[in-house]
Amino acid sequence: MKMPAVLRRRALLVGIAALTLAACKDPPKSDPAASGDGGARATGVKRLKIAVIPKGTTHEFWKSVHAGAVKASKELDVDIVWKGPLKEDDLKAQIDVVNTFVAQGVSGIVLAPLNDSALRAPVRSAAQAKIPVVVFDSDLQGDEHVSFVATDNVAAGKLAAEGMATKLGGKGKVIVLRYQEGSASTQNREKGFLDAVKGKPGLELVSDNQYGGATTESAFQKAESLLVAHKAETGAIGGIFTPNESTTFGMLQALKRSGVNKKVKFYGFDSSDKLVAALRDGDIDGLVVQDPFNMGYLAVKTMTEHLRGKPVEKRIDTGARLVDKESLDDPAVKAIMSPDLKPWLGE
Amino acid sequence: MNLRSLLGDRRPAWLGPLVAVVVVYAVFAILTPDTFLRTQNLLTMARQTVVVAICALGMTMVIVTGGIDLSTGSLVALTTVVVARLLRSGYGPVVAVLGALAVAALVGASIGALVGRLKMMPFVVTLGAMTILRGAAKGLADEQKIDCDTKGLERLLSADITAPGLWIALTLAIGVAVLLNYTRFGRHVFAVGSNEAAARLCGIDPARVKILVYMLSSLLFGVAGVMELSTLTVGDPTDSIGLELDVIAAVVIGGASLAGGEGSVIGSVLGALLMTVIKTGAVHRGMPSWTQEIATGAIIVLAVAVDRLRHARARR
Amino acid sequence: MTSPPGAASSPPEAAASGPPVLEIAGAEKSFGAVAVLRGVSLSVRRGEIHALLGENGAGKSTLMRILLGAESADRCQMKLAGEPYAPPGPGAAQRAGVVMVPQERTLCLHLTVLENVVLGLEPARAGFVRRGAAREIAERALGLVTGVGRRIPLDVRAGSLSVADQQLVEIARALAQGGAATREDGLSAKVLVLDEPTASLGQDDAARLFTRVHALKAAGLAVVLVTHFLADVRAHADRYTVLRDGTVKGEGDPKVTPPEQIVREMLGRELEAARVEPGGDARGAPHDEGVLLDVNALGGCDRPRSATFVLRRGEVLGIAGLVGSGRTELLRLIAGLDASIQGTVRVRADKGVGLLSEDRGGEGLMLSRSIAENVTLSRRGSFVSRPSALFAEGARWIAELSIKASSPAQSAGELSGGNQQKVQLARLLREDYDVLLIDEPTRGIDVASKTQVLALVRELARRGKGIVLVSSQLDELVSTCDRIAVLRRGELDAPRPASEWTEERLLLEASS
Repeated sequence: MKMPAVLRRRALLVGIAALTLAACKDPPKSDPAASGDGGARATGVKRLKIAVIPKGTTHEFWKSVHAGAVKASKELDVDIVWKGPLKEDDLKAQIDVVNTFVAQGVSGIVLAPLNDSALRAPVRSAAQAKIPVVVFDSDLQGDEHVSFVATDNVAAGKLAAEGMATKLGGKGKVIVLRYQEGSASTQNREKGFLDAVKGKPGLELVSDNQYGGATTESAFQKAESLLVAHKAETGAIGGIFTPNESTTFGMLQALKRSGVNKKVKFYGFDSSDKLVAALRDGDIDGLVVQDPFNMGYLAVKTMTEHLRGKPVEKRIDTGARLVDKESLDDPAVKAIMSPDLKPWLGE
Repeated sequence: MNLRSLLGDRRPAWLGPLVAVVVVYAVFAILTPDTFLRTQNLLTMARQTVVVAICALGMTMVIVTGGIDLSTGSLVALTTVVVARLLRSGYGPVVAVLGALAVAALVGASIGALVGRLKMMPFVVTLGAMTILRGAAKGLADEQKIDCDTKGLERLLSADITAPGLWIALTLAIGVAVLLNYTRFGRHVFAVGSNEAAARLCGIDPARVKILVYMLSSLLFGVAGVMELSTLTVGDPTDSIGLELDVIAAVVIGGASLAGGEGSVIGSVLGALLMTVIKTGAVHRGMPSWTQEIATGAIIVLAVAVDRLRHARARR
Repeated sequence: MTSPPGAASSPPEAAASGPPVLEIAGAEKSFGAVAVLRGVSLSVRRGEIHALLGENGAGKSTLMRILLGAESADRCQMKLAGEPYAPPGPGAAQRAGVVMVPQERTLCLHLTVLENVVLGLEPARAGFVRRGAAREIAERALGLVTGVGRRIPLDVRAGSLSVADQQLVEIARALAQGGAATREDGLSAKVLVLDEPTASLGQDDAARLFTRVHALKAAGLAVVLVTHFLADVRAHADRYTVLRDGTVKGEGDPKVTPPEQIVREMLGRELEAARVEPGGDARGAPHDEGVLLDVNALGGCDRPRSATFVLRRGEVLGIAGLVGSGRTELLRLIAGLDASIQGTVRVRADKGVGLLSEDRGGEGLMLSRSIAENVTLSRRGSFVSRPSALFAEGARWIAELSIKASSPAQSAGELSGGNQQKVQLARLLREDYDVLLIDEPTRGIDVASKTQVLALVRELARRGKGIVLVSSQLDELVSTCDRIAVLRRGELDAPRPASEWTEERLLLEASS
């Protein structure tokens, strides 16, 4: 009587597989109404399916990218699949995700690589499978990808340094809390900032070798120690720079907890509700904001155009801007910092 | 009641970690006298130790029974998410915290039942739980951080002598130390880890002991999660990845044996403190991040090696 | 080595009289089709040491498990102090005052002596251990066991005590469980079962233990002593009962019964001459040049204490000894698996020494792996290992030793005990060792396989191997070996030719 047991097990497996598939289908792709549009099918052209792979899914930043990508997919009438690594900032997992999409055979892949060299191999295998890749947010070595859509991070870092220098009147001690080893976009921001600081004799760099790590908590702990170590509460520190959302948020918490907020000129990167509120309160002096919505939008658009046979630029700058308290209510800034995501993500 | 029994071990297994903490502290104090010795720094280190230390209390119990819990970090993250969700749905901070702790205790009871009654390997059960709970946290949080009004919870933990979190952690440490050393239940925890067959022979139900141990430890992980939320002020499903490894390291540095039957609360707390001192000291000294990682790892291996040698000498 | 242990230290006391405190009548128990107990009766009086004797499998353990409530009998009438007694579980037996110290050590070595004695009995208020009360219980129980003058500290770890002291702590714990320590005036435990209490003790420690057992007996306890040591029984027991094949085959006063009679009751055979196999040329006329193994005053950490012998090419040397005498430890020392602390082992065999472990599942075989992998597991051989060659070799050995298996890929765990043993042997043969140390080769295997395995052992000797054979089956030793030496409490006597031995003489020697 072995057969029934085997069959039962098989049935169970099938059931699990079905559930898994159903669950996978659930997250927002494009508007179902759009995929119901008979136009594409009627003309016999296969509907484009573009995989969008961010570095993570929980940062505010990626919400905006997601919304921008959805906007592009609706405008251009393509399907997108939004899938990040299972664990936040997990390089191995991201490689797996890319390989899975290559194996599935999507039309194109839009990728924000967690590491500028480790993702080369999967991108090459995508190219070999005739699946074009557009890289966005962070750069990738090599030239297998079609285009690179991102903020010019070096320039963005420099923006923060210039802003800080002006605010400090050209002199003071400066701390940089780095993000993570091997992340190209933040390293470029750090480089842009540091290069600019080195060009200003009045600014003295007191710490630039500490990394905040992947999570807010780890950044917070590092920031807290740094502030104590450099006696920030005595006013010894003039300015602080952090290169992404998690380090900025962690540093903000540490500043508030140790009562050093408003005593230092704090320049961060990226935006979220809490960071904007802090900017308004004066706990943050300036935020360099990218335009993640536009980045998501342009990345998908570039890919679609490439797939539809149009020539695309090798490098597309999505822009960055230093926002301070005064420029916060500028409508142009508002559109970048708090784009209305609801119509796109349906929240 | 002599000092040794009060501190919770027949032989001071925590003596090594204590010496290590003092020595490492002294070294950094000499290297960076102007910043490291300040009260502010002491309080900051205490605050930074709280989460790992509270988790280490639970982990000590689990490891004393000869088990292990790999789901710590995931459970802490899940707790931050549950509290944040409840706060955002309009519940008060007390209800939110109690709700999250109930979830944590339920998780612990389930793990304990699988380990105790079904006799499954704790490593496997909690490895599964680690992934399940992480997934649950992400699902519950819609894969995003949950912003919420923390309604006073943010005051729980800060680098301040009056911060309730520090005192809660201290109270819990004393509570668990007393539980392990002065109660019948505590005796049975050590007995189950030392020789399960003998415990059964003496009429003790090892499964029941294990269920309670996993439940209590998960409850402590839940408390640590509340502390974490107090720091983060958001519910973060990706928080505390790998926390369990720090916690296990603290417990092992504190003199516990992964084979069970040995462990001390004081030692585990000191182990957690030692790791904080190294991390903080390295920042004060301006040492690059990678050197801190090497130093922490080396301390773990060294601690166990010293323990081995001590055991070998005692046997001779 | 010549005087019986403890004979000087324990003057025999007057046998207890009065009505029996424990009566077992008509105990029957079957496991499936196998009847283990077929109507056993036993009665033990207050203040009596009652020895329960019998070979392995005679039913002693089952009877004791029924007494302790760990097993339920198919049919059995028990009375304790005149009242009907039928414990549903070990807890109930303890509460009634029937306690046992099992043969294997069951202390929590990380806990203190005090904590061990009161484990599971901790007096507590609101969950908090009442330390004073716990200490009182432990002191009283331990006081009963150690007597005046000698003290075991309560606050040291049990693991730091000697084996002999651990044994006393276990007895104290059993007494505490029986309620000894809850009464001011002494014992409320009625029956104490000691299962092979001296198996892991040296002579001095064993003698000391018996002084304490006599003290407990004087305090009114009934002691059931399960043991193989006839000498202990003769020196200390007031009465004995022999079990064989689930029935009582003899009882009486061991001090007046001749030991030969007790042995006969245990073995169930009339004295008979040893069967002498037509052995190889080595038999009787060992030649000096053929020495493979020269063991001189070899001693290990605990057991054995001292072993000296020479093994020659073509001979089977048997080692007889009771459980705990250090047989397995001796083989492990010779094989180099454990470190010796004294003496020398000189191996003059080019192809080395191989050990067949008594623990087939534990260290002898990889039960979850295939026969082929088990047979070919070796530290020698080339780096590359092709599965096809592996299985071909496995198949060859299956044929060679006529192992009953479906294929070389079958996992070793699926085989019967006898065939598993052949797989172990095949591995040793493939390595082609000169000296084979064979530990309990016939344990747990059927009769037909037994004969085959033993024939194989003889055949190997004929081919020029030297073999050391350890077995608790005395008939096996007598029929298979060329020479036999007796190991007693870690001391190995000089080997004598098998023709001079009978089973009875072996048992008498080993248990004296």
